[in-house]
Amino acid sequence: MPETTVGMGQIVAGGSPRQMKAIVGSCIALALHHPLQKKGALAHVVMPASAGRTGAPGKFADTAVPRMLELLKELGVAACGLTAKFAGGANMFGSSGPLQIGGANIQAVAQALETAGIRIEAQDVGGTRGRRVTFDCAGGLLIVECPGQPTRKL
Amino acid sequence: MIGIGSNGKAIAGLQELFASATHDASAAMCRWTNGVISVTLDEVREVQLEEVGTELALGDEMLTMVVMTLDGELGGSMMVIFDDLNGRQLAASLLGRDAGTEPEWSELEKSALMETGNILGCAYVNALTRLIDGDLRPSAPYFVQDFGVSVLQQALTSQAAASDTLLLCEIGFQRRGGRLDWRVVFVPTPGLQTSLRRSLHAVPEDAQEISRHLDHTQ
Repeated sequence: MPETTVGMGQIVAGGSPRQMKAIVGSCIALALHHPLQKKGALAHVVMPASAGRTGAPGKFADTAVPRMLELLKELGVAACGLTAKFAGGANMFGSSGPLQIGGANIQAVAQALETAGIRIEAQDVGGTRGRRVTFDCAGGLLIVECPGQPTRKL
Repeated sequence: MIGIGSNGKAIAGLQELFASATHDASAAMCRWTNGVISVTLDEVREVQLEEVGTELALGDEMLTMVVMTLDGELGGSMMVIFDDLNGRQLAASLLGRDAGTEPEWSELEKSALMETGNILGCAYVNALTRLIDGDLRPSAPYFVQDFGVSVLQQALTSQAAASDTLLLCEIGFQRRGGRLDWRVVFVPTPGLQTSLRRSLHAVPEDAQEISRHLDHTQ
């Protein structure tokens, strides 16, 4: 099955059969999926809010979700019926370490999904470890691998 | 902010500055390892945010890293990166014992690696502070074992907020002239990049000193 790596700030949309992969720490791997049309998109969100800054839409939670909807619309997928799963938002240097942003990313992604009216089906967030995330566009399965922990299937 | 953009001259200037700082860091590393290990500047380059994981070839394997950050506007992040085996070999050589074989690193091994990161990071901070005549505040070193890309993301937060293009400084290690599979990645914030670039124009005598340094090291 073709596999695409989604880099920081990128969004990739597609249909089946296709797998998308992202490795996240404080970032969020956000998957939108339409179970009937078997199409979806994966964004690698880096920061919570654009706050007027320019940059790749996938970089910020508040611009990533609208752009994902646009890309899915181009594939003929309506926003109605989409569900969301996401993983990431860790604090890689522990709770007292520098550059704390994981928690803000989690909140911002949840807020952006609520604003767009998209239901959150599952999430695996927080902690202090990175995650290797694989998204199956056809089935909507989000596989989360975390060092030293059992693989989770969302 | 002074734009760095794709200005080749700016990159070349920063390359000179980092070469000078690397010279100081190498001297510190030599002292720390009894003359066995030195560091050299590999490259200063710009990388697109979305490609940074691929460009640095961090893969999706577990790595051992020591991370230091510089807080404030004149900031940045430094990551010393090893695979598990090489990290353990360095720790063992510093501790004068055989490399550990237990899955979990001992506190002593972690401490040896963190001190290595601290020595390298502080040597860089001291050298850069002299060049920019500014105040750089390094964090304590953090020992992390995880996916390299996962750690890099958090270290890049400040830089990613300002631009989709990141300036990376890559440094390699050598043991008695032979290259080691360890490396350092330093990512200065846009504010620090600007200060460094200004120093190239504002303090010609420093530039001459840098040139002398480079002549001396080549």
